[in-house]
Amino acid sequence: MPEPLTDFPCMNVRIRSYGERGYLLDTLSDTARLLVERALDLAPPQAYEEAVPGTDNLLLLFTRPIALSALREWLDQLQGKGSMRKPRSHCHEVPVVYDGPDLKAVAQATGLSEAQVVAMHAAPQYCVRMMGFAPGFPYLDGLDPRLHLERKASPRDRIEPGAVAIGGSHAGIYSVASPGGWHLLGRTDLALFQPQNAKGALCESRAIFAFAPGDRLKFKPVSA
Amino acid sequence: MHSIEIISTGVGLSIQDRGRSGWRRFGVPPGGAMDRCSAQAANQLLGNRPDAPVLEILLQGAKLRIFQDTWIALAGADLGCKLAVWSAREIKAGTVLSFPQNRAGLWAYLAVPGGFAVDTWFGSASVDARNGLGRSLQPGCQLSAQLREPNVSLDRVGRRLLAADQQRDFSTPMNFELLRGPQFESFTEQAREQFFSAEWTVSARSDRTGFRLEGPVLEVPDSIRSEPVLPGSFQIPGNGQPIVTMVDGPTVGGYAKIAVLKEADIDWLAQCRPGSKIRFNLS
Repeated sequence: MPEPLTDFPCMNVRIRSYGERGYLLDTLSDTARLLVERALDLAPPQAYEEAVPGTDNLLLLFTRPIALSALREWLDQLQGKGSMRKPRSHCHEVPVVYDGPDLKAVAQATGLSEAQVVAMHAAPQYCVRMMGFAPGFPYLDGLDPRLHLERKASPRDRIEPGAVAIGGSHAGIYSVASPGGWHLLGRTDLALFQPQNAKGALCESRAIFAFAPGDRLKFKPVSA
Repeated sequence: MHSIEIISTGVGLSIQDRGRSGWRRFGVPPGGAMDRCSAQAANQLLGNRPDAPVLEILLQGAKLRIFQDTWIALAGADLGCKLAVWSAREIKAGTVLSFPQNRAGLWAYLAVPGGFAVDTWFGSASVDARNGLGRSLQPGCQLSAQLREPNVSLDRVGRRLLAADQQRDFSTPMNFELLRGPQFESFTEQAREQFFSAEWTVSARSDRTGFRLEGPVLEVPDSIRSEPVLPGSFQIPGNGQPIVTMVDGPTVGGYAKIAVLKEADIDWLAQCRPGSKIRFNLS
């Protein structure tokens, strides 16, 4: 007799196929997402290759096409494991020199003073929602809604790594030199991505990336 | 023991293998050969493992000097090299191999016995220059093969040729059968109709991160919250002109995806030159 599904946090998950060997899991609550990610580490489904978090969803990639029913079954057996403890999340303090080229424009656009923008940006504890755009680039949840701004109409051709920026509802930090359309508030010396440490057979994520999805961080204003 | 020296890198020259997996959650693209099938064919000609590191040669201009007698295999685009594409043979020390003209396709793959001896980043030798991964190649760089001899029987054989049915012809117009993208339903009936009935032109603004297509301007649904993106996805940005994500493309994106290439077809699209006309139908 299968147990009732009522307290199963993944019950409402919507699954969309993506490509020949991927599935997107949508409408996952944050708890359910953690649970799924944890289960993927401990007892993954057959042919599981990797999982990639999005803002609101999670992509599961397999080494070969698998049936939707097999994925459903795997999700179903997570039922009742909801009490699994959350993994410990890392907390970071990121020193920032707030001298970004867009600080003034952001202050103008939001009707705040530059000092207020800095204080507002440095106040919250942020969470790394997902990583992407470039290796090591964190999309940070927790930005004060008063700082939510459309991306710049014309993106910059080159932004240096370490640029501390905001775009839409997210805060972020550029991790490699790249073009980009976010508003630059400051810069940090912290190396977000160290590709030289990815060389060789042993790749330890904490030695390569400053952050991982799920990490928490705070910005600390420092002088230049 | 160096077997090849780079005289000129031409339009583009890089080391590639099958790419890296397991690091997308940190924003590391899979990378790897743009046309994996041809890279594998080059390896197969020498008895290498299919994912051994090869040289990926984009269009014309590359020049290589061979230092020691060595077997070399060539597959993929026909770039006018005197070593025929889809074949392998022993090249004598002192020979200069050049790739003077683009006859068909975009990317050629050159393999040496055992593959090139190069370091790996995230388990792959593939170069991703933007992200500082892989060994970048400049004129004067010297490369070594893992083995002196190919790992195949060469008794009384001066030359090896890939079976005719495994050789690919990149000169014919392509028609691709696509899968529905995750946001297929968000596009209007008319946009979908246009997408699948139009003839699309591959734009010159295409590279290892994405191939841009030119054609009718599609009506675009609202952008979405950023979510994972797979190579082969047809993203439709604000200008209504599709961008097909390629292997070095970003791992997440906020544009709606109308369709996805079958994985094996990414190889075929990668070989479509700017100006090529392509069409799609729904799988």
